[in-house]
Amino acid sequence: MPTLPDGTIAVEEVWKKFRADKTVPKFYDQVKRFGKSIGTGARHDYRWVLKDVSLAVPPGGTLGLIGINGSGKTTLLKIISQVTYQSAGRCTVQGRIGALLSVTSGIHPELTGKENIFLYGAVMGMGRQKIKDRFDEIVEFAGLADAVNRQVKFYSLGMQMRLGFSIAAFLEPDVLLVDEVLSVGDANFQQKCLKRIGEIVRAGTTLLYVSHDLSSVEAACEKSVWLADAVVQASGPTREVVGKYRAAVEQNAALVTSTEGVVQVLKCEIEASDGGQIRSEVDLDVRLTLNSPKPLDANFFIGVSQGSAFPMFIVRYSGSFPAGDFEVKCRLHHVPLPKGRYSLWPAMSGHLGGKGMPLLPWRPVMSFDLMGPVAWDPPEGVMVASPVYVGADWEIN
Amino acid sequence: MTVVGSSFGDVLVENDVSTVPSEPPDDILYHHKVNYFESIRNLWAHREIIYTLAERDFRAQYKQATLGVLWAVLSPVATLAIFVVVFSRVKTFGSQGLPYALYAFVGILCWSFFATALGTGGQSLLSNKALLAKTQFPRECFPLETLCVNALGTAISWIPLALLFVIFGRAPKLATLWVPLFMIIEVVFAAGVALAVASIIIQMRDLMQVLPIITSLGLFATPVIWPFSEIPTSYHIAFGHTVYTTHLVRTHLVHHSHVVGGITVNLQLIYGFFNPLGPIIANARNTMLLGQAPQWNLVAVAVAGALTYLLVGYRIFKKLEVNFADIA
Repeated sequence: MPTLPDGTIAVEEVWKKFRADKTVPKFYDQVKRFGKSIGTGARHDYRWVLKDVSLAVPPGGTLGLIGINGSGKTTLLKIISQVTYQSAGRCTVQGRIGALLSVTSGIHPELTGKENIFLYGAVMGMGRQKIKDRFDEIVEFAGLADAVNRQVKFYSLGMQMRLGFSIAAFLEPDVLLVDEVLSVGDANFQQKCLKRIGEIVRAGTTLLYVSHDLSSVEAACEKSVWLADAVVQASGPTREVVGKYRAAVEQNAALVTSTEGVVQVLKCEIEASDGGQIRSEVDLDVRLTLNSPKPLDANFFIGVSQGSAFPMFIVRYSGSFPAGDFEVKCRLHHVPLPKGRYSLWPAMSGHLGGKGMPLLPWRPVMSFDLMGPVAWDPPEGVMVASPVYVGADWEIN
Repeated sequence: MTVVGSSFGDVLVENDVSTVPSEPPDDILYHHKVNYFESIRNLWAHREIIYTLAERDFRAQYKQATLGVLWAVLSPVATLAIFVVVFSRVKTFGSQGLPYALYAFVGILCWSFFATALGTGGQSLLSNKALLAKTQFPRECFPLETLCVNALGTAISWIPLALLFVIFGRAPKLATLWVPLFMIIEVVFAAGVALAVASIIIQMRDLMQVLPIITSLGLFATPVIWPFSEIPTSYHIAFGHTVYTTHLVRTHLVHHSHVVGGITVNLQLIYGFFNPLGPIIANARNTMLLGQAPQWNLVAVAVAGALTYLLVGYRIFKKLEVNFADIA
C-alpha cells in the first residue's frame, strides 16, 4: 500500500452495525454472547448505521458532514478517529488526529480548570511540556483567566465547553475532527471558534466538520457529504450538497403537513405584486385561504425559511378573524432575499398580543423559487445568520 | 490518489441509494487483528496519559476529603483494629510466634492492594465511559491507571507498618529487601485480573454486583488471617482403585477408604499458581518478620501464575476491546 501524505483521510466502503436488541438482554443471553465474542464473533440482532460509505479528503481539505439526527455522522467520525471500529471496509487516516467529539467528556468536575487543561491535553495527545508552553494562550482563548483555579463543577456548561474547545484549538493535529461542539457556546465564542478553525485549516490541517448548523458548515467547509439512513446521498461542493439537503428536508416537512390544529389551510399562493417574476427586492403578495370553525381573535404569522424550521424573517398580524372560510392577504415589502428556493410557514395562535395555544401549527405550506442576484460568500469562517426586518400590509376578508 | 465514491470532486455526485446492498460483501468484513508487540509499544508511547489519569483520580479521590491522603493510612489501620480485636481473642490460627497485629497487617496490606485493584480496576472502563466513547488512546490505560493510584495509596498505607515495628520493639530483618520483588509479582497478577475483569464487566454489568462478594470471600480464601503453612505441602491424591468400607463402631457408621495407587502433590505450589497472593504474603512475612530467605519454589509458581494471569487477561482485554466504545 502506498503511504499517503499526512492529513489524508480515506474511507473505503465502510459499514458499521449496532446491536438492536428488542429488550435488555437476560444475563443468560449475555453469557452466551460473551462466550461467542471470545470465540468467533457474536451473532445477534443488529442494524446498520453506516452502509457502504466512501469518502476521501486530501491534506488541507475541509469536508462537512450533514444529515439529520441518527444518520450516522457521529459514528463515522468515531470510526475515522479510531474510537470505535468499523464492521466492514477500510478506513485510513494518515497523521495525528485531533478529535473533538464532545468537549466536556474529558473534563473532570472535581479538578480545577488548570488541572483539567493538563488532563484533557494529555488525553488529546498533547505532551505536558507543550501544554505548559501554550497554557496562557489556552486560558486567554477560553476567557477563563479568573476561573482557571476554580473546580470545574462550579463552571457553567458554556465555560466547560470553552475550556474543552480551547485545549483542542491548540493541539495542532494533522486531521481535526469536530462534532457539533460549538452549539453550546454563545454567539461571540462560536464566531471565535470558527475563526480559529479557519486559522488551523489555513495552516494545513485537514478538517472534518459535523454540524446541524448549515451556515457554519458553509462557512467552514469547501466540500460536503450528506448522509441519510446510513447511506451517502450526495457529495460535492458544500453549497450544492447543502442545497440538496435543504430541498429534501423541505420535502419531508411538506409530507408532515397534517390536519392538526383548529384552523385549516385550504389554499396558498404567492406572486410578485407587479405581476412579474418573483425576484429579490420586489413586493410579494401572499394569499392564504383558511377555514376556522369559529370567529377568532388571534395572532397570525408568516415566516420564510430556506427549508428549515428557522425562518429568515417573520411578519405578524394581530386582529380578528371570521368563522368559516376567510382569506388572508399579505404584501411583503421589498423582500431582501438572494436567489434561491424558500418555503413559506404560516402559523396562528390565540390570545392577542401574547403567547397562546396554537390554532395553526408552524408548518411549511408551500415553497417558491426566487430569482435575483446570488448572495455574496461571507469572509472565511463567518456564519451568515441575520434577522431581517420586512414590512408588510395586511388585509383580512 | 483516487477512491471510489471520492467526495472531493468539484461536481455534485448523487449516490444511487438503490445500488447499495443490504449487507457488506464478505471480503471486506473487518477482523480485529491484535499485534501484541505493537500494542505494547503504543501503550508505552501513551504512558503520559496513564500518569495524568492517575494524577486525576488521586487528586479527585482525596480532594473532597478534609483528611486527604490520611485516609490511605486510616482505612487499613481500621481493618487491622477489627482483626486484632476479633482474632487475637478467638485465637484460631497461630501467628508463627509473632505479634498478631504485625503478622496480620502484612497480610492486610498485600490483600487490600489486590482487592482495590479488583474493585477500581474492574470498574475502570465503566467509570470512564465518557472518555472511552469519545477519545482515542490505548484502552489499557484505564485499568493500568487505577493500578497506579492504588499502588500510590498502598505505598502510603505501609507507613503504619513502620509504626507497628516501633510499638512492638522490633526491627525489619535484612531479608525485607526481597519484599519489592514480591510486590512486583503482585502488581503483575493484579494487572492481569484487572484487565480481564474490566473488559468482561463492561459486557456483563451484572458482574459488578458480584465483585464485592468475590472480594469478601477472597479475604478468607487467601492467607491473610491464617498462615500459608496451613496448606499441606504433601497431599495424597488418590486414583486407581479406591476401596470404600464401612464399619459400625459403637453407634456410628465409620467410612474408610483404602487407597491403592495415587500421587502425592505439593498443594502449596498448586494453590500458589492459582492464587499468587498466597506465596506473596507468606514470603513477605517470612522475610520481613522472620528474616528467612524466600522460598524460591513458591516464588517461582507465583511468578508463573501471575504471568499467566497477565497474558490471559491481556488477551481477553484485546479481544473484547473492539466493542468497548459501542457498549460503554
